[in-house]
Amino acid sequence: MANNDKMETMLYNAAMGLGLAEEMRTNPDIFVLGQGVASGGWFGAEKGLADEFGSDRVVDCGICEAFEVGMAAGASVVGMTPVINLGFADFSLIAGDEIYHKLGKWRYMHGLNVPMSAVIILPVGVMGGAGPEHSNSIEVLGMHFPGLKVVVPSNAADAKGLMKAALREPNPVLYHSIQTLSFTRGEVPLDSDYIVEIGKGIVRRPGRDATLLTYGSMVNRSLEAATTLANEGIEVEIIDLRSLVPLDWELILESVNRTHRALVVHEANKTAGPGAEIAAQIQERAFYELETPILRVAGKDVPLPQQNDLEQACIPSVDEIVAAGRHIMSL
Amino acid sequence: MPIDTTLIGDMYRRMSIARAIEQIVEKHTRKARISGWWHPGEGQEAVGVGASAALNGEDYLWYQGRGCAWAIGKGMQPGPILGDVLGKVSGATGGKGGGVPHWADYSLGIMGEGATLGSVYPLAAGSAFASKLRKDGRVSLANFGDGTASRGTFHETMVHAATWKLPLIYLCENNELLVGTKLTDVCPTADIADFAKGYGIPGIIVDGQDAVAVYEATLEAAARARAGEGPTLIEAKTTRVQGHYAGDPQNYRAKDALANYRDPLAVLAERMAVDEVETIAAEALALVQAAYEETLAAPPPDHSIIFKDLYYGQ
Repeated sequence: MANNDKMETMLYNAAMGLGLAEEMRTNPDIFVLGQGVASGGWFGAEKGLADEFGSDRVVDCGICEAFEVGMAAGASVVGMTPVINLGFADFSLIAGDEIYHKLGKWRYMHGLNVPMSAVIILPVGVMGGAGPEHSNSIEVLGMHFPGLKVVVPSNAADAKGLMKAALREPNPVLYHSIQTLSFTRGEVPLDSDYIVEIGKGIVRRPGRDATLLTYGSMVNRSLEAATTLANEGIEVEIIDLRSLVPLDWELILESVNRTHRALVVHEANKTAGPGAEIAAQIQERAFYELETPILRVAGKDVPLPQQNDLEQACIPSVDEIVAAGRHIMSL
Repeated sequence: MPIDTTLIGDMYRRMSIARAIEQIVEKHTRKARISGWWHPGEGQEAVGVGASAALNGEDYLWYQGRGCAWAIGKGMQPGPILGDVLGKVSGATGGKGGGVPHWADYSLGIMGEGATLGSVYPLAAGSAFASKLRKDGRVSLANFGDGTASRGTFHETMVHAATWKLPLIYLCENNELLVGTKLTDVCPTADIADFAKGYGIPGIIVDGQDAVAVYEATLEAAARARAGEGPTLIEAKTTRVQGHYAGDPQNYRAKDALANYRDPLAVLAERMAVDEVETIAAEALALVQAAYEETLAAPPPDHSIIFKDLYYGQ
């Protein structure tokens, strides 16, 4: 039932919900569990789902993240496709055993090659004063622990396309929605087969001088920085990674081998963040192509303050990205 | 209604196989190092076998890692069990296994074990939730030890399972020991079944040395679950004969700790004819001995399986 080429402007979280609703219509094994999902979700992603699919498939639960994810793992093992919205990625640490041992390892450690579909929605990043326990960007954990896939949609269309891909994926997916984008609007394809393939990044802006690898909240800031840099004659290629597991090495290396400079920009903490791994792998795979060291522009290694101005000072600004662009060209 | 004698014979056979595996693994670990540590289940065989006998083949079992009575009870053969313990390709995991079991066979409803102890509560609720949605009539059983009844997910899971009336059974093997700590040193009640009151579900205490008692309690709990009446908590009072792991010197345990121990095999044998008992025991021993010899002859895994099954199709 494709809707061909029609587009509609909608909120990022609504697009995520649209992808979910479309898949629920064709796959009766999908159910949604979380706090407040039956009344539309804290941030509106599950709006209307309970009305359309009933309270058997769109289910509220108590404040109990370990139960939610553990239950998803058990349901997944018997062939269901659970969708758990944890509200804030920060809370996933309470379900560490359930995410990283049970979802990530159950198939492997029992030696049975069966599909395990599950989507854990982990809203990440600052949203304006949510504080140090509601603002973390901890997507790197899904890169560190084996057995999971990790996606980070940076706009409404990807929010839909990656949700649909995640729901069709026979492996557990950590779906990091971006808090600061939740209520931003974008053009979204209404085609019910619109999929953004997991593991495929995309060039958001072509450029010859340096490759800037980013995702999530930092895509828009990087694009803004690239416009400023272009006015100074510096053409930065912006790659939106879209997935962190697996990473699109074909796309990354094609670009780096052409520009010979690489920067990684993310909101997550700098130390042992995704940029550390990406930079390490670039130098392992393409050291002799590089003209300069790889730079990282990332969140400060501090708990995020609640005060809005301080909070913003802890994550990369457009100016910092511009400065990094100038710096890498000066090396 | 008196219990069927064929069923008693079958339970005795399975318990004898589990006991024979215990003995052969114990003997093996005295002379050879295995990967990981075997956690002996001697003395507790009536629980896993008795409860499994009350489940249907397609019911979901999520077990804990002491002994092998649950796997044998639910239909796994000694070969794949011993294969994992000895780290051979003939193991249920295909060669990744070791002393801590991760046996699973979904065709037998054996869903696996979580080695972060007490971690299967929510997983069992997941399969129970699936059964409720699908109306497939299956029951899910979460098996655990008394020590892990203090886990947060014990509570989180039962709060929801009882509210939603999931077809779930909590089955506690209470051997009164958490590795070397006495349960009552860390728990306000000696009876885990007491916790059921808060959830408004039945909390049943049974003699865990008597397979028939465990069977009957589980059968009733399963019938409640299938009728849509929700979960039951069964507590089987049992005895851990050996240490926490094979080779555990057990300095923490009193010399007379086993003074009142009743061997579950002897308890069940009281309901059987002597010659039947002897025949079944001898056959079980022979079956396990043959499986052990085949396991010794089986090759260890090739390193090529290190990435196998990490992702689906890999």
